[in-house]
Amino acid sequence: MKKALAILLLIILFGFQSMHTFGIQRFPKPEFESGYTQPQTLMPSPRAEILAYMDVAVLLLALSFISWLVLKKRSRNGVFWTSVFSLAYFGFYREGCVCSIGSIQNVTLAMFDGSYAIPLSVIAFFLIPLVFTLFFGRTFCAGICPFGAMQDLVSFSPQKLGSRLNAILGLIPYLYLGLAMLYAATGTDFIICRYDPFVGIFRMNASFGMYVFAGTLLVSGIFIARPYCRFLCPYGVILNWFSRFSRRHITITPANCIQCRLCENSCPYDAIDIPVTEKNPDSRQMRVRKLIIISILVPFLTVAAGWTGSKLSEPLAGVNSKMKLAKQVLNPVIDPNTPETFEITAFKSAGKSSGQVYEEATLVLHRFYTGSWILGGFIGLVFSLLIAGRMLKKYNPDYVPNKGNCFSCVRCVDYCPVEKS
Amino acid sequence: MKKFLILSDKTLRLIQSIAFASGVFAFVLCILISVNYFQLKRADPLNSPAMKSLVERMNTNPDDQQVKLEIRELDLLSRKAFFTNRWQIKTGGYLLVFNVLILIICLKSIELLKAKLPEIPGSKMDDFWDKRKINQVWVAYAGISLVSVSLVFAFLTHNQLGPELKRAGLAGQNIGSNQQTKLPGNVPSAADTTLKNISGKGANDSAQSASTNLTEGYPTQQEINSNFPSFRGPGGNGIAYQKNIPTSWDGKSGKNIKWKTAVPLPGYNSPVFWSDRIFLTGANETKREVFCFDALSGKILWKTAVEKIPGSPAQVPKVNRETGFSAPTVATDGRRVYAVFANGDLVALDWNGNKVWAKNLGLPKNHYGHSSSLIMYQDMVIVQYDQSGDASVMALKGKTGNLLWKTSRDVKISWSSPILVNTGKRQELMLVAEPFVISYNPSTGKELWRIDCISGEVGPSLAYSDGIVFSVNEYSKLAAIQVGDTPKQLWENNDFMSDIPSPVATKQYLFLPTSYGTMVCYDAKSGTKFWEKDFGSPTYASPILADGKVFIMDKKGTMHIFKPDKTYSVLGQPQLGEGSVCTPAFAEGRIFIRGDKNLYCIGK
Repeated sequence: MKKALAILLLIILFGFQSMHTFGIQRFPKPEFESGYTQPQTLMPSPRAEILAYMDVAVLLLALSFISWLVLKKRSRNGVFWTSVFSLAYFGFYREGCVCSIGSIQNVTLAMFDGSYAIPLSVIAFFLIPLVFTLFFGRTFCAGICPFGAMQDLVSFSPQKLGSRLNAILGLIPYLYLGLAMLYAATGTDFIICRYDPFVGIFRMNASFGMYVFAGTLLVSGIFIARPYCRFLCPYGVILNWFSRFSRRHITITPANCIQCRLCENSCPYDAIDIPVTEKNPDSRQMRVRKLIIISILVPFLTVAAGWTGSKLSEPLAGVNSKMKLAKQVLNPVIDPNTPETFEITAFKSAGKSSGQVYEEATLVLHRFYTGSWILGGFIGLVFSLLIAGRMLKKYNPDYVPNKGNCFSCVRCVDYCPVEKS
Repeated sequence: MKKFLILSDKTLRLIQSIAFASGVFAFVLCILISVNYFQLKRADPLNSPAMKSLVERMNTNPDDQQVKLEIRELDLLSRKAFFTNRWQIKTGGYLLVFNVLILIICLKSIELLKAKLPEIPGSKMDDFWDKRKINQVWVAYAGISLVSVSLVFAFLTHNQLGPELKRAGLAGQNIGSNQQTKLPGNVPSAADTTLKNISGKGANDSAQSASTNLTEGYPTQQEINSNFPSFRGPGGNGIAYQKNIPTSWDGKSGKNIKWKTAVPLPGYNSPVFWSDRIFLTGANETKREVFCFDALSGKILWKTAVEKIPGSPAQVPKVNRETGFSAPTVATDGRRVYAVFANGDLVALDWNGNKVWAKNLGLPKNHYGHSSSLIMYQDMVIVQYDQSGDASVMALKGKTGNLLWKTSRDVKISWSSPILVNTGKRQELMLVAEPFVISYNPSTGKELWRIDCISGEVGPSLAYSDGIVFSVNEYSKLAAIQVGDTPKQLWENNDFMSDIPSPVATKQYLFLPTSYGTMVCYDAKSGTKFWEKDFGSPTYASPILADGKVFIMDKKGTMHIFKPDKTYSVLGQPQLGEGSVCTPAFAEGRIFIRGDKNLYCIGK
């Protein structure tokens, strides 16, 4: 009875939300005869503050629940049904916003732009999964993130990609993270939201191109498990780092591994580390030499990549609206048959001088120059550390989940014949 | 350990059938939604051929109620179809989501029902260290590839925008620190103050109204095109955008002559027109003056002597009789008028003729006399100063006269004037002097490209149309150059050449006047000559393309008006009644011509 009352209460609460949404849809966006098209909105309708905090509470509860399911109950079914709930709540009901992945940009913008007031709920969505990851591994990815949940649902026939392809494709999220932070820090755009393949499905309002992108990801997700999470997700990069230091991470076996190898191919994400008991075949002298080379190469590669990045600052800045306007003011169209661009029309009515536009664009360019140095340096550092990391000593006698890459989905647990002692 | 469910084959087959059906349905829905989407994207219900034809019918017969009814019905039908399409896409989307959900549930059930017991993989495990080494190499390859692609992309796209913005920003900083600049859009449109709108007002009234309407900043392209602000019109390219230009008049009988006013001092510069005013200059060995005429009445509103300019040389410049002391045409931005003289005096006057700033550019080392006209770009006045041994082009801020940029030119002396064109990609300032045609960024003075294609003492200015710029000079050649970062000469011809008048071009044709009075028409793309016509009198004025016709004045005062076509078709040959060597200026329904002694206004 109590359970039924609680469900009823929740339905009433959600009902209020729907009324709010309908209220906005009563008035469609105006259509312009000039050919101007309304830009795609990146965020759903505003939400009452109290309800934003309710979302944070739901996130906290869901994360606690799934962490308990993963670590204590070791229940794949529990994780699956939690992910269905998350897909319904954070995905279709909350329309994918606020999402922890996109919150990277809000946090970055808040760090670089003092005038940007970041909502507390956004900070919570950014930090809470990180804190949980630090303690329990990537339980957020297991079944709370609606993007992961959606891909997990369609992962019917996952194939192994091979370590080379995994290693190369696994570099893309670092690039995406760097670019997203650069564009957010310069106030240019929130590219994670703009090119988010799944929110369009949640909101049923994506452009045709984004539907195709999302469809491609989901169809490929039948054979390549969670392609977005593994080869695109920028938040996954940060979660990966945090998870490596997680205090309590899921284990495949609840007791001692008997090396039966049943779990060896159970992970659709190639996130199980096989036992390594053999020593590095390289001689000690060779390993020392390699380490010396790497210790020189890391700073060198970082600076070289930073310099390369700085050379890209102008093309990267090209998408900034202030840069676009400055270019148009700098090279105005004089052909009377060519219609004036919307940017120029807006500029004229905004009361700014061309000098101010150039000044602002110069500032943007300067920021991009610095940002591109950092972006390049970051990418260089990631590459060199990945190469260096592969030279380190490695010893693990059992089959264990790779703490960084494991999504804590609990699939492998079902394959282990060992009972808890 | 995983529990494996065993259910009957019948249940499994049922689920498999549902999965198959929903899969096929989802696929069909995808196709239908895509087709609908493309239909919707292509649909433009308000501009359909049927609607256009109905609108045309209504325009020819505005009182036809039946047509109006048909338009309303068609409009309603089109809108209904449009919105039904949208509804179909949205509903199809929901159906698809629902269907995919069923498919997923079925497939998950099958996965559960057909679960196999885990198998132990092959006996040999991959060698960890070998695998690691290979991964390391591949990451390194990926890094090298990324850096290489980035560098190639960076060098392909690097366009020095930063320095350009900085140089262009000089103007902006000055503006920002001196005053709050109004934007082009806030400037009253010239169309609002055309001649007919101020009819009936006295010269002083119109002067007052015009001066009080002026704001800072620079004019929009629309305003520039509705005036005639410099030598050979907007951008100096020989094209005027005004309509209803008269094609018949007679100076002797006064037919269509609205007024004629004597010009106080001689000069071979041409009139420019802005809003309600005409500007000219005149000079002799001792005097230099700028004149402002009321466009409506022809009354001289003011004349300002250009004297006591700091740095102005006492020495009288050596000039040719056919150049004189005031050959360069003035330029205006609707806020001020700018004039340069043979001794290097450069002056900016406000709308009432008061001196805003003045400076001397140094006595030009020019054996015929300086004759390059001024041109405006945004709030800059641009000066081509091709003198012996020290040729340059510079931009000064219109309001203050501050030098914004100056670019040295490794060319000989020239008497041509700059043109300003939009190539579709950018705005370019193009200049010609032996041996190059050179294009500059007008904001910064940075050279964009050059091509070696001309020789001699260059007098004619360039003509531009549709990506091709045409240069010509006597004893050299006529050359058609495809503009761009790597310009290319498309064709050349040396049958006819000019040493004073400049050519004018349309997309299809190039019209080349010669100073001995022959007009030649070429195919602009191939250089094929279509026709030549001897006017029987020398021609020093440059042709102007206006109102779908070409206007060119010969030295005797006959305006030759013809169709810009591959056959010569004369539309008029009205007489001014006195000789003229100046290029006319155009306003809506009017032409302003400087004769040897008088300024004429011609209108219907």
